[in-house]
Amino acid sequence: MKRLRVDRWTGQLVTATRPGAAGVSSSAPRFRCVAASARRCQSTAAAAAVSESVAAAADLVDNNPRFPPLENLPPQVTSWPSPPPERALQSAKLAALHARLALSKKIPLQTLARTLVDASADPNPRFNNTNLAFVGQTLINYHVSEQLMIQYPRLPMEIFYAAMKGMAGPAPLFQIAKSWGIESAAVPGGEVDPGLLQFSLDATGDAILGFGYSRAEQKYIDKYKFRRSVASRVVFDDDFGDAITKTEFASNETEDDDHIHTNTSYGSATTRALAEKAHANHVRAVVGAIYTHCGREAVKAFVKAHVLSRKLDLHKLFVFSDPTRELSTLCAREDFEKPIARLLSETGRLSRTPVFVVGIFSGKDKLGEGSAASLDHARRKAAMNALKSWYLYSPGENVRVPSDMLNEETRPWEPAYIDIGEVIARGGNLRR
Amino acid sequence: MTVKALKAVSVGRNGVGAFILQCKRIDLHYCDWAGSSKGMNGFIKSLLPKFAAAHPQIEFTVSPRPSKHPVAIGHYINGKEKAICVRNMEPYEILKKVELLRDANGEKLKRLHKNVTSINESVRGVWSPYHGNGMQV
Repeated sequence: MKRLRVDRWTGQLVTATRPGAAGVSSSAPRFRCVAASARRCQSTAAAAAVSESVAAAADLVDNNPRFPPLENLPPQVTSWPSPPPERALQSAKLAALHARLALSKKIPLQTLARTLVDASADPNPRFNNTNLAFVGQTLINYHVSEQLMIQYPRLPMEIFYAAMKGMAGPAPLFQIAKSWGIESAAVPGGEVDPGLLQFSLDATGDAILGFGYSRAEQKYIDKYKFRRSVASRVVFDDDFGDAITKTEFASNETEDDDHIHTNTSYGSATTRALAEKAHANHVRAVVGAIYTHCGREAVKAFVKAHVLSRKLDLHKLFVFSDPTRELSTLCAREDFEKPIARLLSETGRLSRTPVFVVGIFSGKDKLGEGSAASLDHARRKAAMNALKSWYLYSPGENVRVPSDMLNEETRPWEPAYIDIGEVIARGGNLRR
Repeated sequence: MTVKALKAVSVGRNGVGAFILQCKRIDLHYCDWAGSSKGMNGFIKSLLPKFAAAHPQIEFTVSPRPSKHPVAIGHYINGKEKAICVRNMEPYEILKKVELLRDANGEKLKRLHKNVTSINESVRGVWSPYHGNGMQV
């Protein structure tokens, strides 16, 4: 029986071929149904005239010794949606990016160039970053989720989803791409520098990223704002607990162009969302490329260095609707004594700015403490602090995660702490 | 459902995890004719190849700017740029200036009053007047 070579499983992504195009290597001429002429012309006569004048101008420019051409481009390059892979070797920006990210020499510049081509710029999956981004997305989400689950085993699911989105969602990945110094081309095309991120603001591109199901009743959820239960979000929705819609930016087509192309320096909300998506897909594709060429350990180190090292304050994510009730439910569940709020210290009760410090005790153990300008507020804050210290229990910073065990010479796995789940307080939303 | 979540985005700290050099591009402009570019031309011929090879993460562009003083412009990841006029300088003086561009982070120069700034929580906590036994005066 042949041994499975897990490290080769993504090898086909580097030179992906479509079923109809067998035997065409990625450096071969590209067959696509676009006009042969570089310019778009209204009639063929105009096209011929334009091509003649262009050729004459090109001759003049090429023969001028004072202004030699910067780069010899293939003749039909402007008709291609993205730069040909062989141009990657001449791009200074791309080489600088490769060195800036301290990527291994095993990752060729052509692959790095491919990670910069979004599906909206080039719909052909052999030349855009969709496949690499899919691999990268699964890897980033896996490493972030295992770290969160082991490091904070008691996180409620809602907070877990928010933390996943805050660490590995499109917004943080956009920030990561910005921190790498990724610049984007104004308009994608075959003649632009391969070191620029290429995405289109007109076409949206259909990149399938991540697992999940689009729900049959999605239309009614949108219309009537049905609540999606946490359990159903785990089963149906994506890694961030968001519903999967078939076309995320489908509504753009009905909007007028002026709305999309706002002439402000920041663009419109739609253009910003498209830019965020393209930058995030680039980061995912880089991770996918690292996995494809360098393997598991390299990608883990890269995700740890670039994604997991960022700071996210989990205790700022919590919103409690009824903390005192939830705390007493928790104490009942865990067989603690009933929580009792006691005033620890106060000042200026009759003044304009009183301060009350309230502690919540279960028997002799102090569960939490809060200070506020009113007694009730202080008690609620104390309860929130008590709940947060319960939910944010952590076995330590340097916990071992399951993927550590994939290394062959490592010590045996010690079972990680697994919590029975979050507190479900009955009638929690009565007061809203 | 009693606990709800707010949205937040993680904050990156360069050097914690990965370090990204903030200078991403240095433009060097020279003039073939003018005397103020003499040092710059020497720098480009003798020192630049070694410097550029030692810093692959920076993109170097060399371009003529006839009848103007030579200038070195650094472009940074935060979108800002820093230009230094290097007229009449010797090649090694220009090397110092280019190293300055390399080491800068592109932000405006500002006076730092604290030796250490951090977004981490204080390990010791914040002092509170409502805890402890107080102080006898």
